[in-house]
Amino acid sequence: MTEAVFQETTAELRTQSVPLAHLSLELGHLYMEDFEAGPKRLGEHFAEVRIWVDAVRASMARRSRRPRISTCFLIDDYFTRFSTPAELIPMVLKEAEKAGLVIDYLARESACAVADRIDLAESVMHRLVESPPPGSYGSRPPVSQTGWLANGQRTPTMPGPALSKAKGWEPPQETAARNHSVFMDVELWSEKDGRRLWSCPFLAAVWQLARLGLLRHLGEPVLVPKEWQGEDFPHDWDRLDPLLRLTDTKVPFSAYRTCTLMPNRFLAVEDAVRLVLDQIDVDAGALKQVEERSAAEGIPVPAAVAQRATYVFYEEPGDSSGAEET
Amino acid sequence: MTAAPGQPARSVLACGEVRTCLLPSLQALDRRAAAQLLRLRADVDVRISERPTMYVLSPEVLTGVDCRLPTSNGSKVRAVGTVAARAALTEGRLLQSTAYFSLPAAGPDIRRPWGQYLVRPGLVEPFGKLPQQAAAEGALRGAGRGELDLGMIAEGLLAQLRRHALLDRRVPFKSSPTKLRWVARREPEGERASLVSFVVAEGGLRTMELRLPEHIPAASAAGICEDLALHDWLLTTVQHMLDNSRLGTADGPSVVEALQPVVVHLLHLWMPRAHVDPALGHLWDVLEQKPGFSRQWENLSRRIRDRLALQAVATPNQELSAR
Amino acid sequence: MLIFAASDKGGTGRSVTSANLAYHRALAGDDVCYLDFDFGSPTAAAVFDVVDARQDTEDRGLHAYLIGEVSEPARIDVWSETEHQVLRFPPPGCGRLVLMPGDVSGGEFATGEENLRRCVDLLMTLYYEFDLVVIDLSAGRSYAVDMVLEATAQPEMSEVTARWLVFHRWTRQHVGAAASLVFGKRGILAGGVDRGHDEEELRNSIRFVRAAVPDPESPLWSQVSPTQSAWMRKTDGDLKQLASNHGIGYSQVLGSVPLEPVLQWREQLITDEDVLDSQIANEATWQALNQLAGRLTDDKYWEQA
Repeated sequence: MTEAVFQETTAELRTQSVPLAHLSLELGHLYMEDFEAGPKRLGEHFAEVRIWVDAVRASMARRSRRPRISTCFLIDDYFTRFSTPAELIPMVLKEAEKAGLVIDYLARESACAVADRIDLAESVMHRLVESPPPGSYGSRPPVSQTGWLANGQRTPTMPGPALSKAKGWEPPQETAARNHSVFMDVELWSEKDGRRLWSCPFLAAVWQLARLGLLRHLGEPVLVPKEWQGEDFPHDWDRLDPLLRLTDTKVPFSAYRTCTLMPNRFLAVEDAVRLVLDQIDVDAGALKQVEERSAAEGIPVPAAVAQRATYVFYEEPGDSSGAEET
Repeated sequence: MTAAPGQPARSVLACGEVRTCLLPSLQALDRRAAAQLLRLRADVDVRISERPTMYVLSPEVLTGVDCRLPTSNGSKVRAVGTVAARAALTEGRLLQSTAYFSLPAAGPDIRRPWGQYLVRPGLVEPFGKLPQQAAAEGALRGAGRGELDLGMIAEGLLAQLRRHALLDRRVPFKSSPTKLRWVARREPEGERASLVSFVVAEGGLRTMELRLPEHIPAASAAGICEDLALHDWLLTTVQHMLDNSRLGTADGPSVVEALQPVVVHLLHLWMPRAHVDPALGHLWDVLEQKPGFSRQWENLSRRIRDRLALQAVATPNQELSAR
Repeated sequence: MLIFAASDKGGTGRSVTSANLAYHRALAGDDVCYLDFDFGSPTAAAVFDVVDARQDTEDRGLHAYLIGEVSEPARIDVWSETEHQVLRFPPPGCGRLVLMPGDVSGGEFATGEENLRRCVDLLMTLYYEFDLVVIDLSAGRSYAVDMVLEATAQPEMSEVTARWLVFHRWTRQHVGAAASLVFGKRGILAGGVDRGHDEEELRNSIRFVRAAVPDPESPLWSQVSPTQSAWMRKTDGDLKQLASNHGIGYSQVLGSVPLEPVLQWREQLITDEDVLDSQIANEATWQALNQLAGRLTDDKYWEQA
């Protein structure tokens, strides 16, 4: 068929593509407790991480002769604000360097909620399509009202119709259970003083989508890295760019797959992240681009988005119980 | 596993339901308001086309389903996947919502992880082999209790839009919504799409069967069905207004009052295949030949204009302007 | 316009009278929808003679819709599905007459956010579609009454004209009970105000309909003794006084329907054939119903008393 003579730009949808690496490797999340424990502890983290980074690189080398791997690091400025970028970032970079690690991209956690005035978390929330329990024939469960997302059916709390038999406790049920259920219910946000506070797993799911190159706003890429020219970091977190490229690496931030290295106390959070990722209807255009390009490179991605994220959970160096209690 | 991960499974059947109604707003919406109404997602633009008529199409939203498919022979087929739904507004006046999905010939006997369904939006997989004939007939018949209910999904979207704060929730005249159920059987590539049947049933129900070559997306089939549903609604609505006894016996200004909304809100909406995939535009031809959709519309428009012209002759000017 | 038909007790002729009003309006050219919100004892199907069609829609009625099991309640097109010989041939140019049946197995149920939203959606959709929507509510201060009071108080329904008819029989007990249903401590008015209705506005949208009213002058009573006749006149006068004392006097009454033997025996629609050809029904009944039907939308009868 010939191209139509008459066209209207607003009548078509377009999804811009983003450059993609093979792997986005996250070297860690920094929370206040880690910072409070001092640079030495951070150094121990990086020393441990270094071992696994080498393992991950070795694993990637099996898939591709010249793997493109970019590294990133996330600092929490959303749940608790501590220190300043000017004070903190140089310390992080220094400790990483000591362990022989290079951080290519640095992001702050609040960027997963709002970046460049775009409500990323909100947009992702609108893309939730709940996994239907058997018997779902078209009535839509209102996710946005409850603020929770489960991997199955909850224990019923409402009493049935007046005449139905009163039953005792009924177990919840995981939809994809094999023989037995592992039921999980994840809080996506809470409301306080009329302000919505996104939960850690939900923001982490947004973070994964960004790293997987699957976020768009009106077809345009979001969370595009800004280049760092070596200037001093600001004294206010809000003035720090949401995503910074710290090195002159040519490897893009987003990638076909992600690998995240973190202490094993985050296991539950990341399991929740997978639960969320498994129920997000991501931008179809972006999905197609990633699928086609990875296949063309001979390293096709798993179909389900959640399967593209892998993890290494390591034992925290030293006595971690003290840090957890703060 | 039937299809390799990420490979779009070939569908053999697409089913949908279109609901068409008058937008509950005294004034037709302009381009900007229409876009705002249909912005179902903050991060995806609505599609706006202003020629030859203003047509605004929402992004698609998905609903997860895991239930039995309606079948005509009572065979029980469980199916899992997502149903796509979208809404369209024509000339800021007629609101439509469509829910639709495609079915492959067969699917796995166990439910996959949900994320695997989500990467194939608008595809519902049967457990085992799909009884194609029974499923197609079942889709046209509509859902029984507990069966995949396209009407519920389409109506849910419509209800959500009609509640939008942007609307004043007033209608310039009363009218009945219609629903059109359609099925499209897949044909090998290279064949031409064709219309097998278009049935006008009671209670505002229409059913439609078509044959669709493989390379034409189900969304395009939804588009032609919406176009036919919209024009069928126009015929149905205007015909009903002209049939009313009040109009038959009335004289004087009440005729003007009754027909005025048709002239102001509806007469200019007739624009067959305006926003239809060019590969499907010819499906109109059959209906233009018999019964002759456009012919009937011309006839109805002429009757209305003649009625009003007669009225203008009969009514002294001052009487009209005094109203 | 929405018309809610309420009554203090059962047996007031609420269902049959409101069905007849719907019928009259449809004959006159209006598109009319009749909703059977009399959960627990739906009777409308019998009145419209659509019992077979009703069976086919079992479990897909208003109750199933309100609890979210079906996408829309079943509709029965009375003209095409009735078994009634006369109704099956409506005069040309008449409007549509659609019945939305309740569910036989439905029964009352607790109210909830979702039910309410569906109720509002339904009433709005029908309001956009029909000239007149008649909603027959269960007797007394029922769940159905609460639900529609709540629904009509929602901001999205603020533009909708809704009027209430309260049916009662012409006896001391019924007059008192009807007044209490509206003005009582737990009455419609108080319940409406609790839910955000404006009291004056709601009060002005309520009118009473006296049903099965025996006319002492009627030929029906021509055989009674002078003593009985005098007693009847006296009682009728007393009742008028009583009604007036209860605040449901003349100005609050939209109309009366005379005692009609046909309706005493069988709840049905009274057709012109019943009156003119077979003459089983009284001309006066037809007239009263027609007059009442006209007054539903005649603002003159709904101005502040």
